[in-house]
Amino acid sequence: MNKTLITGLVLTGFMVLAALFGGYFAPHSLQDQLKTEYIVDENGKGTIVSPPAAPGAEYPFGTDKNGYDLMTKLLYGAKYTIFVSLAIAVARVFVGGLLGMLTGYYGKNPNKPIRKGASLGILNGIPIFLIAWFAMAGITMNPGLSPLLMSILLGVVLTLVGIPSVIAVTKDKTRVIRDRQFVLASHSLGAGNWKIIRSHLFPHLKESFLILIVQEVILVLSLFGQLAIFNIFVGGTTMYFDPAEFHSRTNEWSGLIGQARTSFYANQWMLFIPLASYIVLIVGFHLVAGGLEAVFKKKYAKSAHL
Amino acid sequence: MGKAAKLAMAVPGALAFIFVIALLPILIQLGENGDSLHLNVSGGLSSIKEYFAGIGTGDTFRFLSGRTEHSFWNQIWSYFDVSLFYVAIGALLGTAIGILAGVYLGMSRAEWLKRIVELVGALPDFVVILLLQFIIVYIATQTGVVLFRVASLSTDQSAIMLPLISMVILPANYMIRTVSQQMKMTLTEDYISFAKARGLGKTYIVFFHALPNVLPFIKADLHKLLGILMGNLFIVEYLFNLHGVTKLIYSDTFAHGGYQFNLVVNSLLALIAVYAIVYGVLRLFLRGWEKVFIR
Repeated sequence: MNKTLITGLVLTGFMVLAALFGGYFAPHSLQDQLKTEYIVDENGKGTIVSPPAAPGAEYPFGTDKNGYDLMTKLLYGAKYTIFVSLAIAVARVFVGGLLGMLTGYYGKNPNKPIRKGASLGILNGIPIFLIAWFAMAGITMNPGLSPLLMSILLGVVLTLVGIPSVIAVTKDKTRVIRDRQFVLASHSLGAGNWKIIRSHLFPHLKESFLILIVQEVILVLSLFGQLAIFNIFVGGTTMYFDPAEFHSRTNEWSGLIGQARTSFYANQWMLFIPLASYIVLIVGFHLVAGGLEAVFKKKYAKSAHL
Repeated sequence: MGKAAKLAMAVPGALAFIFVIALLPILIQLGENGDSLHLNVSGGLSSIKEYFAGIGTGDTFRFLSGRTEHSFWNQIWSYFDVSLFYVAIGALLGTAIGILAGVYLGMSRAEWLKRIVELVGALPDFVVILLLQFIIVYIATQTGVVLFRVASLSTDQSAIMLPLISMVILPANYMIRTVSQQMKMTLTEDYISFAKARGLGKTYIVFFHALPNVLPFIKADLHKLLGILMGNLFIVEYLFNLHGVTKLIYSDTFAHGGYQFNLVVNSLLALIAVYAIVYGVLRLFLRGWEKVFIR
């Protein structure tokens, strides 16, 4: 354990707790709405209270444009942000890791890294979030499916687009281990393929898998955010017409960022409190990944000659 | 397999990929009352058929923006130029800054600097851009000095500096991390300690012994770098309201008449063209670096 890892674990642990039990501590309910009111105090001076309210005693993080408490929204939305991204990351690493190990182990031509047709690299010109955007674009606005079902759908899409890169990473690592001498020794002592995969490959890869999961969580969270910028929210988008407004159905954090995207001129808390929570979450996972890497790689480091 | 044969295989492959992506919104549809999913294969096939049938009549190259019909060939060039400009500048400046700063970071012992670089690398692109916009607005409200425009309101008041900065930061950051990591690995090699033992200067060793061995890794990473850049382009053009190719995709995809499959395919092809051009330029740029440092 090192300081980086501990800091990261504390940050992410706090967020996970908030996601699990946040609903019980929320200062308001999701339906509580701050309505426009005219209040007269004892001196006879009247003030108008109208949404959005800035952060204060009543509303710790302020309210959104329609007068709903932002902190409550964040606490209720946290479970979608954290658990959906975690589930996608685990699914990506599970499927991709398994396929990567198998293709890396059974693949031919170990010494020559398979070069993709040089010209297919051009497909990098189409970013991954665009594929997800097109897949969700036809169904995300005002869907009849439940938010949970829509989250699962998005999860499936994001898992599918993420698997190839996990396979590629795992394949490379598997090849390196497969060509090591202890694998050859084990093979000549009569170990079968399955035995080698189980007791040599996997034990050597399991630390990489753990780090990979944490890194994938960060990637998935960025994808959530990028999609949310284009009004595709986890759990579906509620669209109002005249004027066109987009609202997250689940209050998932990147959705809250997306729907308040333009408020950096005025009512800045609406954008920056969700954004700050989102950044803290990503930094937390980043620290966990860095900390784990430091723990696992310390032994193998070489030092520079200069 | 020869290069020409490879290219002949790749072009249909890339085309098929683009068609599949553009078909997704047609294929994946909600059911009648919106509570079930179904796969609209026949609609997808007829869209492809219409695309190829329309090439002859010119229907393929017409699209709706709002309710107005435009010709793709008349419109695309100005959009194309904007995207090409930002991607090219981002790629070239990002690589140059990335290599130099990466060399420095690979040797420096300033751990905090490395941590900051890694942290920025972990943050998604749109977060970096939103924070940049926020800083400019904050400075403006505190001091009254508007450093850069945070968004384009009209064509003669377009934001240029801030989008450029946003386009450079992310590729530069990626390059810095790759180069500094490879630099560190290279510096552990025996030929470095041999060069040091011969009494060569530190700068000389870094630039003429270590850097030439780092450049191949950079070359291998170009596709990834450009991939990051293209993703970034979408976010930058959207958040700064720039009129580039990606704007055609995100704002006119669903026009008055519904989903515009032809427009999406054409715009994606234009995007691929931007990618190919910048990739070529970047390869030339790196060849220049090699000419200087490899002896």
